[in-house]
Amino acid sequence: MASIDSTKEKPSGPPPKSIGPVADVGLRFLLFATALVAVIVMVTSKQSKLITLAPGFSIPFVAKFSQSPAFIYLVAALSVACLYSIITGVVSVLVLMKPGGSATKLQFHFVILDALLLGIMASATGAAGGVGYIGYKGNTHTQWRKVCDHFGSFCSHFAVSIFLSLISSITLLLLVWLSVYALSKKISKP
Amino acid sequence: METQFKEVEVVNRKTSFTVKDLAVRLLALALTLVATVLLGVDKETTTVSVKLVSSLPPVDLPVTAKWTQMSAFVFFVIANAIACSYGAASLILILVTRGRNKLVPIMVTILDLVMVGLLFSGVGATSSIGVIAYKGNSHVQWDKVCNVFDKFCQQVAIAIFMSFAGGIAYLLLIVLAALKLHK
Repeated sequence: MASIDSTKEKPSGPPPKSIGPVADVGLRFLLFATALVAVIVMVTSKQSKLITLAPGFSIPFVAKFSQSPAFIYLVAALSVACLYSIITGVVSVLVLMKPGGSATKLQFHFVILDALLLGIMASATGAAGGVGYIGYKGNTHTQWRKVCDHFGSFCSHFAVSIFLSLISSITLLLLVWLSVYALSKKISKP
Repeated sequence: METQFKEVEVVNRKTSFTVKDLAVRLLALALTLVATVLLGVDKETTTVSVKLVSSLPPVDLPVTAKWTQMSAFVFFVIANAIACSYGAASLILILVTRGRNKLVPIMVTILDLVMVGLLFSGVGATSSIGVIAYKGNSHVQWDKVCNVFDKFCQQVAIAIFMSFAGGIAYLLLIVLAALKLHK
């Protein structure tokens, strides 16, 4: 028994820690990173271009993220996710440092908050994705012209941002799965 | 009523599902079904008078608004249909394997969460398109459409609300499952 312990354990000596809390912190860091990068990419997406309406007559057009309420909502949701990941990441690390602490109450609260944030992030991703798709392809039925042929850089910025916010949503999903799994494991133990 | 409620509590401890759980699941199933149907049969044909040539009087052209014309609406209908059929399947599965299988409640909770994400993203996409259709967006020269297709837009709004309530119901199921695991 002692030899098996020494090969698997960390040098600190206490019983082997499960991967759960470490994965929790790791996923929260991933959430923070993707949300932060997505916000930055979105906010720096301004593009101004000179569009010639008629020969010799051109107007400067500006494409900003603040022109569409869906993108504003995406930036707001991403900022909330970023802040939330910082707070819960710090709390999670504190629990990890405390040896042998029972984290069930914390995980229970995390499940609810993470699920709530998942809903918000998923709706923000969907909203920006819907508007972005129309901006990319246009819609002939409603006579909505596509925008991405003129503002290519703006479009690639928000495509990257939407993709990153999708990754954030999936990270939140994985976090809740992890918490549910950890909670269920705790009650199956005697 | 009081004794009935107590009976349910005793059943709770022995089996792995509650009546509350089933009721919320049934509610989620019903709401997503209504949302799917509402947007799935949403079609409005109206005439728009268009001046083709300035010399002739305006011509009345029939224009149709259907949900298949917008990809966000298609996504909404598909997401709600998936959530509805999953609600039915999970309801049947829970009723059939009453507490015998330990894996079923965990699997159902995991998939419930996927449904939450799916439903909320469908709601987000459709409502962003709806806001543009309602107000227009002057920066990209996208005209508002809801002044022409009034009934269509109202039906979309009701469907969005129903789907949002369905998403909240699935979220409530997650909370109930977490409460059950915690206590």
